[in-house]
Amino acid sequence: MLDELKRILSKVDADYADLRYEIKKETRIVFNGKELSQIGSNTTNGYVARVLKNGGFSTIAFTRESESEKALKKATENALLLAENLRKPVKLAPIAIVKDEFKPILKEDPRQISIDEKLELTRHYNSIPLKQEGISTTTIQYFEVSREKYFVSTEGAEIKEDLVTNGVNGSIVSRKDNLLQNVRVGIGGSDGFNRIKDQDAEFERKTSIALQLLEAKPVARGVYNVILNPSMAGVFTHEAFGHFSEADLIEDSPTMREKMQIGAKLGNEVLTIIDDPTVPNQLGFYKYDDEGVLASPVTLLDKGVLSGRLHSRRTANNFNEPPNGHSVAEDYRYAPIIRMGNIFIKPGNKSFEELLSELGDGLYILDAKGGQTSGENFTFGAQYAYLVKGGKIAEMVRDVNIVGNLYQTMQNIVSVGNDFELGKIGGCGKGQLNIRSSHGGPHILVKNLVIGGV
Amino acid sequence: MKEILKITSAVSDQAEVYYNSQESDSVSFENAQLKDIDSKIQSGLSLRLIKDNKLGFAYTKNLLNPEDLVNNALSSLKGGVEAEFNLPLTSEVARVNTYDSSLDELSNTMMVKECQRLVDLLTLSTKGQVNVDAGKVLEKLSIANHLGTNLSTHSSFYYSYISVFYPASYAGVHKLFIGKKFQEMPDSSINYVIDLYNQSQEEVKPKGERMKVLFLPETMYVLIWRLKIGTSGKSVYDKETPIAEKIGEKIFDSKLTIYNDPLDDSLPGARSFDDEGVPGKYFPLVEAGVLKNFYYDLHYAKKLNTISTGHGFRGGMGFGVSEPITVKPNPGLNHLFIKPGDKTFQEMLKMMDKGIIVGGVLGAHSGNLSNGDFSVGLSPGIYVENGEIVGHVKDAMVAGNIYEVMKNVVAVENIYHPSTSMGTFPSILFEEVSVATKY
Repeated sequence: MLDELKRILSKVDADYADLRYEIKKETRIVFNGKELSQIGSNTTNGYVARVLKNGGFSTIAFTRESESEKALKKATENALLLAENLRKPVKLAPIAIVKDEFKPILKEDPRQISIDEKLELTRHYNSIPLKQEGISTTTIQYFEVSREKYFVSTEGAEIKEDLVTNGVNGSIVSRKDNLLQNVRVGIGGSDGFNRIKDQDAEFERKTSIALQLLEAKPVARGVYNVILNPSMAGVFTHEAFGHFSEADLIEDSPTMREKMQIGAKLGNEVLTIIDDPTVPNQLGFYKYDDEGVLASPVTLLDKGVLSGRLHSRRTANNFNEPPNGHSVAEDYRYAPIIRMGNIFIKPGNKSFEELLSELGDGLYILDAKGGQTSGENFTFGAQYAYLVKGGKIAEMVRDVNIVGNLYQTMQNIVSVGNDFELGKIGGCGKGQLNIRSSHGGPHILVKNLVIGGV
Repeated sequence: MKEILKITSAVSDQAEVYYNSQESDSVSFENAQLKDIDSKIQSGLSLRLIKDNKLGFAYTKNLLNPEDLVNNALSSLKGGVEAEFNLPLTSEVARVNTYDSSLDELSNTMMVKECQRLVDLLTLSTKGQVNVDAGKVLEKLSIANHLGTNLSTHSSFYYSYISVFYPASYAGVHKLFIGKKFQEMPDSSINYVIDLYNQSQEEVKPKGERMKVLFLPETMYVLIWRLKIGTSGKSVYDKETPIAEKIGEKIFDSKLTIYNDPLDDSLPGARSFDDEGVPGKYFPLVEAGVLKNFYYDLHYAKKLNTISTGHGFRGGMGFGVSEPITVKPNPGLNHLFIKPGDKTFQEMLKMMDKGIIVGGVLGAHSGNLSNGDFSVGLSPGIYVENGEIVGHVKDAMVAGNIYEVMKNVVAVENIYHPSTSMGTFPSILFEEVSVATKY
């Protein structure tokens, strides 16, 4: 395959070009309530070419090998049109050129497990909530996505890497009269089928929360001091800070670049944030990104001081900072964009009890329910929370959604717990979907968060 | 397609082939400078077959061997996915005009020029960061089944999108323009963004309380998303909607009429048939506040003993980025409108003693969707006092439940606008909505 790609690429007249070919195999087994609504495995494939000419850099995605000539011609025309209209030509930061083949180490390769076994496992997990009175329905799916990627460049890179992700996720819906409550559940990872076996406890826990939420009161809107559990702390790190570390999101905003200079003091001394796709066995693991750059860990914030950011080759050159392999595509339909691999807050020294007594009155917020960022503003939701009174956990509340501002909030993270947990299911929808986007951390104490309430 | 149908029909009771191909180009300017020009050439094919009331499903991008695809669909039968519905024989559909051949010829150079023109106008009149995008999509789609249904459509879609952002933020003011062919974005749209931005430049810090809230066409999807879930045949079947028993009842303010009209071809997106080959027609969801209909695809219609309303579409309920070939049809609304009312945008502003314009939102997926709850960050919120825009608000949230908020409409704008999400809407002013701020 690599030779075939080199042959296609050899026809391009450009300063730099690369070509990625992917075979994507997806298995999906979906239950809506007790009914199976989808099952099957399918394979799709396609090409993404990028052409740099005279400082213009353009991408084209195409489906068939027979379209390659037309596609490369179009990408070259687009690059030239860009070149004519750009004030500053695009340059790519130099990297070590790699020839490598990398296969992940899997504890039971899901591709080798029969679909019957996957169906039975999914049916079993789905039955855990459904047998409880008060649960009105579920949507539970088994998903498995394998990307077999081939990458060549005119610089001589030749890389093959497989990414295999699987999991069981979905939602559990409870109902009492006209009140519906929806709780997300998910298990999974990128290190094999073994990861999703024997996980009954997680489905039991989430079922119980869905039922308890029917009795919980909505949280009152206002400003609260809060403790976030590791799942929430992870999404918080991802939304409130992580996206700002992605160089492509700030490169064209002079005002944001000004604020996000290396050395800027953004947070408290207790706060150190790292993105590390190379931690083995976690969801976000990869060896090379989709520009053929070796992934490396980046300390983004060091004791409150901005110390690094995530780069593509284009932004690394633009910022005059080292590339670190964080340019990743969803699949064969997309150009790579800058993504977090696995972002987390480095654990501190406070026990959970110490955090609770430091909090005094406030909220203990658990389990993320998605979020979004726009510039320095972010929002995200939680599955549930408890009121905390005098350092003691009291009753459960629901409808907890948080909004905040990066610069203020970073200063408001005042204490960091000594525990640590990474998420088993991730996802980020910055233009494209990244199902391996991973995050986590310790419990953290944050002051003055705005909660929407009802 | 014929060959696949032939092979499939020989081994199953019913068969359907769906084919889709797309060519697209996009141009983007960031911070008033040309950033990217990208293109896509994509195609794929999807097969559904039914045998003994069980569903087989498979898809591919590159059709190398039709038999492999058919065998893959057959092997998925083993799972036992129920399919008791019958694929339709549709021989005639309404004519809709969805394609303008001039868009084939539109060059990326022309789109760069149009973007540059918009950038220049916006930069001249505002101090914010200016982003501009333009693009075009040419699409072909065909559906054929074992009964002889053989439908296809060819569509052209052009868009331009302008944004002006407040300093050091990606909160800002936006406007979308769409058409079946290339047209310059009208001055009225450009001036709307310039005025709204300039009037709201200053950051203000109002107290959080209940106040009037104006949703713009660009942010109306926050409410509409919940309504789409609430009126879907799937939610009715799953008993996941609080309005399951409310057909014929008044659920919203009588100023609200919300309908799907796939045959309205004045804007791109019209379709005379859905992704299962069922003809589409004007379809009211809510008429003068009264709930009129739930919408169904073939599967959920059969489950609930009714007929498909022509709303089987291959797309998620939310912001799915899945390729259509990879997902089975589900109930969906493809060409949704809210009927305009009788007030101009300026008149609506004057009706706000104190209130927030929802200029953009963060976390539209937050809150319990099926319940109708929403709780979203404002990005930005534009604050109005005594009928005048006084500035924009940061770190604020607006929250409520659509089945309460949409009961209390103060005014509906007298014109509708295309939006980037979920349909074509006027701005709507609601009474007494909860707004949380830091102050």
